[in-house]
Amino acid sequence: MKVTVKSWHAIAQWRWDTGSNSTEDEEGDVCGICRVAFEGCCPSCKVPGDDCPLIWGECSHVFHMHCLLKWIGTAASKQQCPMDRRPWATAERKVNK
Amino acid sequence: MAAVSTRRLQKELADIKNHGTPTGITLLKADDFETWYLTLEVLGESLYKGEVFALKFRFEPGYPISSPAVQFVVDDKFRAPLHPHVYSNGHICASILGTEWSPVLSVISVCITLQSMLASCKDKKRPPDNDRYVAHAPENPKKTQFVYHDDEV
Repeated sequence: MKVTVKSWHAIAQWRWDTGSNSTEDEEGDVCGICRVAFEGCCPSCKVPGDDCPLIWGECSHVFHMHCLLKWIGTAASKQQCPMDRRPWATAERKVNK
Repeated sequence: MAAVSTRRLQKELADIKNHGTPTGITLLKADDFETWYLTLEVLGESLYKGEVFALKFRFEPGYPISSPAVQFVVDDKFRAPLHPHVYSNGHICASILGTEWSPVLSVISVCITLQSMLASCKDKKRPPDNDRYVAHAPENPKKTQFVYHDDEV
């Protein structure tokens, strides 16, 4: 049988490399502040991706950058990580591979 | 565009509807994304055995960056628990509702904290400055600058 491909659709999937290996864990892959998936976008943005990136703390906690900056910008935050209340220090992005 | 609080509260509400609430906590009323009511009781052995309380949450558009205003309901049906950190008007002196608020907290996690605050109570009494505070208290407890006396009770 001879098959001629008339057309094809490429499908790609992307996700942020958060440093966690879990691909099945749906609970762990949301921003703790807005509760939206990392691959979604923060409530202020309409389009996910490079325009709504993640931010990593040296404490290893990850958030949507916009969500974290909104919090750090308030006096109430005392510039602490929302998860562990340690002083927030932005980490260099860790890439596994 | 909907307020940030609306989106976050929609997620919390969906989570409550899909997974239920922890033991002793029930959602009483959440008709909008501004004011919610929940009931709270301490199960097992505690000084509050058999008592049911209601909590009122009020959210600003900036929730969860801004903390919710949380108080016990005091009306013809509910009373504020007799507790050293709870004023008779329902206002609560708890650091997580003020200076120690964090945007990763939620309605349910606040309820759990208050439930354990009641569960660990050893002496049912009002705060020492109750009468003075209640006489001049603002309507919204977020407007009060509480002094946190201790972390134990």
